[in-house]
Amino acid sequence: MTRRALVLGIALLCTAMIMAGPPPESAAQAKVIKIGLSLPLTGADADGADAILKGAQMAIAEINAKGGVSGYKLEAVVFDSATPAAGQYDPAQAATNYKKFIGDSLVLAAVGPVMSGEGKAISPILSEADMATITPSSTNPDITDPKFQAQYRPKGKAVYFRTVTTDAYQGPNMANYLFHQQKIKSVYVLDDGGAFGVGIADSFQKRAGELGVKILGRDRLDPKEADYKTILTKIKGMNPDALYYGGVMQAAAKLAPQAYEVTPKVIKAGSDGVYDLSWPKQSGKEAVEGWYCSQASPELVTAPKVESWVTKFKTEMKREPTNYAITSYNAVYVIADSVERAAKAGKPMTRSNLRDAIQAAKVSSIQGPIAFDANGDILTKTVSIYQWRDGEIKYVTVAPEK
Amino acid sequence: MSAFDVLFQQVINGLALGMMYALLALGFTMVYGIIELINFSHFSVFMTGTFVGLVVLSLLGVTPGSASLTGVPLVGILVVLFAVTMATTGLLGVLIERICLRPVRHVSGTAPMITTIGIAFILINLVLLTWGPQAQRFPQLLPNWRWTIGGAEVTFKQVVLFAVALILMIGLSHLVRRTTLGKAMRATAQDADAARMMGIDVDRVVVLTFFLGSALAGAGSLFFGLYYGFTGYYIGYTTGLRAFTSAVLGGIGSIPGAVLGGVFIGLTQSLGGQLIGVKWTDVIIFSILIFVMVCRPNGLLGAQTPRRA
Amino acid sequence: MTVRALADRWRGLTVARRRQILAPVLLGVGILFPLVTSNAGNVDAAANAFTYVLLALGLNIVVGFAGLLDLGYAAFFAIGAYGYGIAASGQLRPEWSNLWAPLEWAGQVSRLAMPGQPATVQFHFSFWPMLAVSAIICAIFGMLFGAPTLRLRGDYLAIVTLGFGEIVPVVARNWEGLTNGAQGLGGIRTPKLFGFDFGFSPYPYYFLGLALAAVGVWISIRLQESRVGRAWMAIREDELAAGAMGVNHVHYKLLAFAMGAAVGGLGGTFYVAKLTTATPDMFTFPVSVMVLVMVVLGGLGSIRGVVLAALFVAFLQSVILQDLTQYVHVLGRVVGSPFLQRVELITSLELIFGLILVLMMIFRREGLWPAVRRVSALTREQQAAAPARGAAVKLSWAHPPVAGGSAHPLLQLERLSKQFGGLSAASDINLTVHAGELVSIIGPNGSGKTTLFNLITGLIRPDAGNIRFDGQDIAGRPSHEIVAHGVARTFQNIRLFNNLSVLENLLVGEHVRLEASVLGAIFRPPRVRAEERRAASSALEVLEIFGNRLLPRLDHPVYGLSYANRRRTEIARAIMTRPKLLLLDEPAAGMNPVETLELMDLIKALRDLGITVILIEHKLDVVMDVSDRVVVLDHGVKIAEGAPAQVRSDERVIEAYLGRRRRTA
Repeated sequence: MTRRALVLGIALLCTAMIMAGPPPESAAQAKVIKIGLSLPLTGADADGADAILKGAQMAIAEINAKGGVSGYKLEAVVFDSATPAAGQYDPAQAATNYKKFIGDSLVLAAVGPVMSGEGKAISPILSEADMATITPSSTNPDITDPKFQAQYRPKGKAVYFRTVTTDAYQGPNMANYLFHQQKIKSVYVLDDGGAFGVGIADSFQKRAGELGVKILGRDRLDPKEADYKTILTKIKGMNPDALYYGGVMQAAAKLAPQAYEVTPKVIKAGSDGVYDLSWPKQSGKEAVEGWYCSQASPELVTAPKVESWVTKFKTEMKREPTNYAITSYNAVYVIADSVERAAKAGKPMTRSNLRDAIQAAKVSSIQGPIAFDANGDILTKTVSIYQWRDGEIKYVTVAPEK
Repeated sequence: MSAFDVLFQQVINGLALGMMYALLALGFTMVYGIIELINFSHFSVFMTGTFVGLVVLSLLGVTPGSASLTGVPLVGILVVLFAVTMATTGLLGVLIERICLRPVRHVSGTAPMITTIGIAFILINLVLLTWGPQAQRFPQLLPNWRWTIGGAEVTFKQVVLFAVALILMIGLSHLVRRTTLGKAMRATAQDADAARMMGIDVDRVVVLTFFLGSALAGAGSLFFGLYYGFTGYYIGYTTGLRAFTSAVLGGIGSIPGAVLGGVFIGLTQSLGGQLIGVKWTDVIIFSILIFVMVCRPNGLLGAQTPRRA
Repeated sequence: MTVRALADRWRGLTVARRRQILAPVLLGVGILFPLVTSNAGNVDAAANAFTYVLLALGLNIVVGFAGLLDLGYAAFFAIGAYGYGIAASGQLRPEWSNLWAPLEWAGQVSRLAMPGQPATVQFHFSFWPMLAVSAIICAIFGMLFGAPTLRLRGDYLAIVTLGFGEIVPVVARNWEGLTNGAQGLGGIRTPKLFGFDFGFSPYPYYFLGLALAAVGVWISIRLQESRVGRAWMAIREDELAAGAMGVNHVHYKLLAFAMGAAVGGLGGTFYVAKLTTATPDMFTFPVSVMVLVMVVLGGLGSIRGVVLAALFVAFLQSVILQDLTQYVHVLGRVVGSPFLQRVELITSLELIFGLILVLMMIFRREGLWPAVRRVSALTREQQAAAPARGAAVKLSWAHPPVAGGSAHPLLQLERLSKQFGGLSAASDINLTVHAGELVSIIGPNGSGKTTLFNLITGLIRPDAGNIRFDGQDIAGRPSHEIVAHGVARTFQNIRLFNNLSVLENLLVGEHVRLEASVLGAIFRPPRVRAEERRAASSALEVLEIFGNRLLPRLDHPVYGLSYANRRRTEIARAIMTRPKLLLLDEPAAGMNPVETLELMDLIKALRDLGITVILIEHKLDVVMDVSDRVVVLDHGVKIAEGAPAQVRSDERVIEAYLGRRRRTA
């Protein structure tokens, strides 16, 4: 009898918790606009997501400190889009999070997602609800490509805005750089099997082929596998000028030391997946020495005009910023600017109107002017090239566009 | 490098891999031989061993950033590292047996195996929660010397680890064949009830087998850390499945079989990756596993009695 | 009305009545839930939870009913998901040919012509027929993946299924042409019903999920209580004995895999139609483990347990842990602990899964909500039934042999031989048994008596020689076929289906004579219902033979019976197959003298009813008393045969039992 009572008690408690939801917030306050933040805060990409979260939080705090915008205070609603089963971001969880945003009438816009895999799941949901999200880091071009409009925005209007440019430029521009500046004639391409990695490796490979670089082969690294010596030995046997890795840190952390051992003389390059400040710690700074990487934005963190921002970020958020922390910060400012314009135009503050205002945004920010094309992509298509030297990322140049 | 050189290099790589899989497979197959249990948690113990190694090294003052060592300090640290880590993983194995497996040892059906899956998940997640999801660098203890043989390279690391693995295997073989304990283990493996009736304390034999097997897993884990220079919470799974396939292929319950199977799988991985491409490695190895289990469940060197439902 | 009184009232109802009350109540709660909760996110989470319910029900069929541990169940989830995904998205674009015209006419595909390019086919198969198609495709894969495991033992079987569970997502990731690889499928069409598009609101999916889950539960219950379910449970309990009772283990194991996979496929199709995207990462090993956790937590084989556990785990993952985390954060603020303020309980979800698996296996293997078996209480007399002799034995189907007609040979063994390694268990055995005879086989331990039975009933194949039953050659045939010919047996060390009741054990005996297949089991047409009624009355008739021993214990699980009653149940079960030839292996072992005599009366009565009996026994006095003929084996060789009195005084027989007589000088 007691065991049954116990089970019953637990069941009732669970049901009560489901129905009640999280504990109520403090008493009602002035007008609030909530910004949804669905980011993979646990799992393999946690560090990048954390930087993005803090960038957004810093912007929100600044805006609120100035009294909000048009009488509204901004508030962040943060959900984790990673699940333990996936060990990283989970598109299904992202979809659930965005549905929760849509279910909350105070959420009028979102910043995120971080990963393109999440973006594919949530874009149709946003289109249905006519709500805009601004992603600071998702670079897969398909989501905003008009070719796939029926899939990702059935209602037609752009809902997936970016303050970064896409892999349609990031991959090929790195190919341009390697071909023109580093004069490579042959390359072997690797990806990590993930949605982002495969996409950017594909775009790099295509462009390299167009430039006349010989593609010696293409293979896949399993992020959960430890031994890459087999494939690296095979690559060494083919003697390429360069090695391109499309993918994120989980595989890169192992690739770097093993490539250092097996193919030390080959030019190595990656994407923004290997622009990760924890790389030297994970792989050792000798191993990452010389690797090229890219960012789908203009160089920001070391730009002089951003120095004070960086100092403020480091002091308040107690961590190093990344480029995408800045694009996230700017995304919030774009939303704030759009709120202001929508309020000034006398329109009711709805998701649709806010989306329209975001579409028409022309905001000058610390990354330069931000404006979006009809698909939601940012107008400036700058890709920056960096190189790891002595355990630090050093800016090299803007990537050539041809 | 000529095509032959590349192949030769892959053979060397494959042999190194094979030694590691063999070390893991040995512990696994020993436990199976004694209590006929497929112990999934063995591979999580392996993974935990690498983290134990990290802790031991940091206590000895060796961190991922420090330079490699040579001569007496190297040997000294290696001995301490191996001894402490193997003892710790051995004890972990004993703990697992005592607390989780003994209560279900006589339950028929798949309850024991499900329990080991649960233990594996617990270990993996404890490590994940403690150290985080990112890869952890393992100190580069062994200097990066290399020698060329023909067109291929052999590194000092590979030589040392080969040597250690061989010593351990020979030691194990001696233990099993020449000592009383080994005889007790073999007797229990063949017929636990009869062994009990001959005065062998079966429970103690099981505990010792778990200790030995888990200690070997600990050795394998250090092999992994020193060879690859890193570790992570998930390494038990992939490496484990390969080691498992090695054990099954060689003949589960057979000690020489585990070594043979390990070498075979290691070579398959490197030569398969070279000739076909690494993205199909998993499928190849799983197909081997399924094939062996269905068509020749006793593997290459296993006992003749067929295992029927 | 106190809670106690209500509970008693509830317990007094029959199972059918309880279901009649519960079903509408639960459905009502299900329908009201989305109307009551204000948060659409909860409805969405609940809709996802129904997917897990379907998966858990499917795995329950494989693991719970049939006892086949499948560690790669996510493979079927994946196949169902990708099956619908490929059919309802723009992934495949084959070139247009007129073969597609009928599908275009049916509205399932369209012809896409872009300027300057050959026309291609655009797939947009409708969700509803795809549910069925997905299920069928998954069923086929279920059989494909199950086929290699048929001869494997429990843990090996699990490993092979684990292998397939790993191969499927790898193929999905690498076969980019079919599945778009790691990027996954996007833009999968949502279901449309009479023009209403489900879109992205969670509500229509919730109700669809509720309906699918209800259908899943209904199918599970119907299968469990049918001939198919009993066959599965028999295989789970004791595959060898199941075969000896006529259950074809190949057929039923494949069927279990197929049905389990089909239900999983339904879950996959539903899930992906709701999510509109599918990626290989959604179907990895941790997902298989999660479904296993649900089944283990709820109770293997318990339908309600599995459903409740699935809902619990789904909500744990999507809602409960997050809400609990918020409470912990609040607590952290109150207590002033920064650790508590930052901790995210959701990251320990897999740790919780591991703990559930270990704790459940150690402490409560039957699960948290196992199907409760209602067992009727026994009266004093029933508990203390004493052996009685001379009870009448009536079987409606048994025909006493026509008096005066010459008995034809029923069983003929010719030069039958079997060796195990160096041991000769049967050596050139010749034996003929005529219809209506009661033959006893005796001999010292290890003389090969049980081996002979095993050879006759198909458990082992002879190395040489013939076995003819009723004119047909049965040597080397599988045991379930031999049962169909009319041979039944009991086992020396009793092989009952331990967790099943007496009645259920008997009904398995009826298996060969019933015809219901899966569809029949699910839909229960009148023919199947009539057949079940006949089977039940058949069972009662057989139980009558044993008087007060077994009838009151109809619904008791057999592991709780006394040793003698277990023997009787086994004999009853064998009789249920309506055998022409009954092989009894030491049926009187462990019985006291009066019980033994009672049993021998029964055996004689069976012989009188026309059932030929071959008996292995060690109690030589009763053997000599009842048998028409006695055969003596020693070390695999027949050393004597004839009337009891003859054999009793045969010198070779005495030597075999007592040893060689010392020759006195």
